[in-house]
Amino acid sequence: MNCARLQQVLDAHIDGELDRATSGEIRAHLAGCAACAALHANRSALRDAVRAHAPRHAAPAALTTAIHRSLARAGKPPRAREIMAGHRPSWLHAAVFACVAALAGLMAGYWLAQPRPDHPLREPAVAAHVTALASGKQLIQIASTDRHTVKPWFQGKVDFAPPVKDLAGEGFVLSGGRLDQVADKPAAAIVYQIRQHTINLFVWRSTDRTPDAITATSERGFSVVTWAADGLRFAAVSDVDGRDLTRFARLMAAT
Amino acid sequence: MSDNGKLPRFEAVVLVHLDAAYNLARWLTRDPAGAEDAVQDACLRAFRFFDQLQGPSAKAWFMAVVRHACYDWLQKRRAGAGDEPFDETLHTAGAAESLEATAVRESDARWVREGIAALPREYREVLVLRDLEELSYKEISAIVEVPIGTVMSRLSRGRDLLQQRLTQARQMHERKRT
Repeated sequence: MNCARLQQVLDAHIDGELDRATSGEIRAHLAGCAACAALHANRSALRDAVRAHAPRHAAPAALTTAIHRSLARAGKPPRAREIMAGHRPSWLHAAVFACVAALAGLMAGYWLAQPRPDHPLREPAVAAHVTALASGKQLIQIASTDRHTVKPWFQGKVDFAPPVKDLAGEGFVLSGGRLDQVADKPAAAIVYQIRQHTINLFVWRSTDRTPDAITATSERGFSVVTWAADGLRFAAVSDVDGRDLTRFARLMAAT
Repeated sequence: MSDNGKLPRFEAVVLVHLDAAYNLARWLTRDPAGAEDAVQDACLRAFRFFDQLQGPSAKAWFMAVVRHACYDWLQKRRAGAGDEPFDETLHTAGAAESLEATAVRESDARWVREGIAALPREYREVLVLRDLEELSYKEISAIVEVPIGTVMSRLSRGRDLLQQRLTQARQMHERKRT
């Protein structure tokens, strides 16, 4: 890796888009080249500044309301749809005429039509845990104690960003991650060790966005702790004591 | 699929990304009302073509639809008015003077915001998708419809430009203070 080549791929490196070998070469070069290390520091600072200062605009409530209303109309039989296409009301117009009662009814309808929470998936999570431990090398596909290596590895592999935290100070040492499945749903599995115990943290996406409190149970003698937040479902499985696993879950769920 | 099942599914799979959609639209149109129009339009389009949704990332698919709606909105507006007068005013002396009024600790935040807003659109969109929406190069490549290598080079170039502008703003600020 020379300076010119490094500068070409520096952004991809910072974005966690390079394979481990190339990133390793980059780190080695940065350690020995002050000029490139300065570029790297500048670029990291820029990215931090963008993330800190550029606002992520949230959709205004009125827009959300108007969209739900338009979609409810668009979903109706063709006659209504033709009217929509020819003469689409502005969102303001729609918002003004938004009928609270109809909307409330609609929301209740969505609520009832939503699939029920996909917990308990405790047994499938335990099954995935056992399978991963049995096959040994399958347990970890990306081995690293660095969360900045493990988290980006999931990019492009699952359609969500699983939280990966450094909890070594609390005794939970990150050892890596892999792709897995929980009851046929693609899941990110993040692997931690505490003392001699392996913890598999399964994360998958759920259509049910209702948050769910941390719940500890046991299944086949394994401790299982589940919770849900942010449209993601979590199941931590381990043979460690249930209290340790609950502590782990609290640390993971803390924002 | 019946329409009855389609709407709740659309809500769960696509509309959960409404904030991301609006954010992209705000940065692309640089106009709150325009962003709302574009997102509204995009939602109707996405709903119409929801049955054709393929691939692993519903977010990326929806963002592509939103991006098209924004470009349509910009084109429509350009047909009616002048070509994006917003850009040039940012880096004139007038803008610099108003910068001066900003508290020093807020300056950086403001320069970052204005710096991104002033980037040419092809750089702005990849920067927003990457640094604010945290999408992967692969997803961005699908949304913007260019190869991954192009995503990479546009991001690099965009960040170069942003960095230059921040440096300039800081230097200008320093000169005015001394």
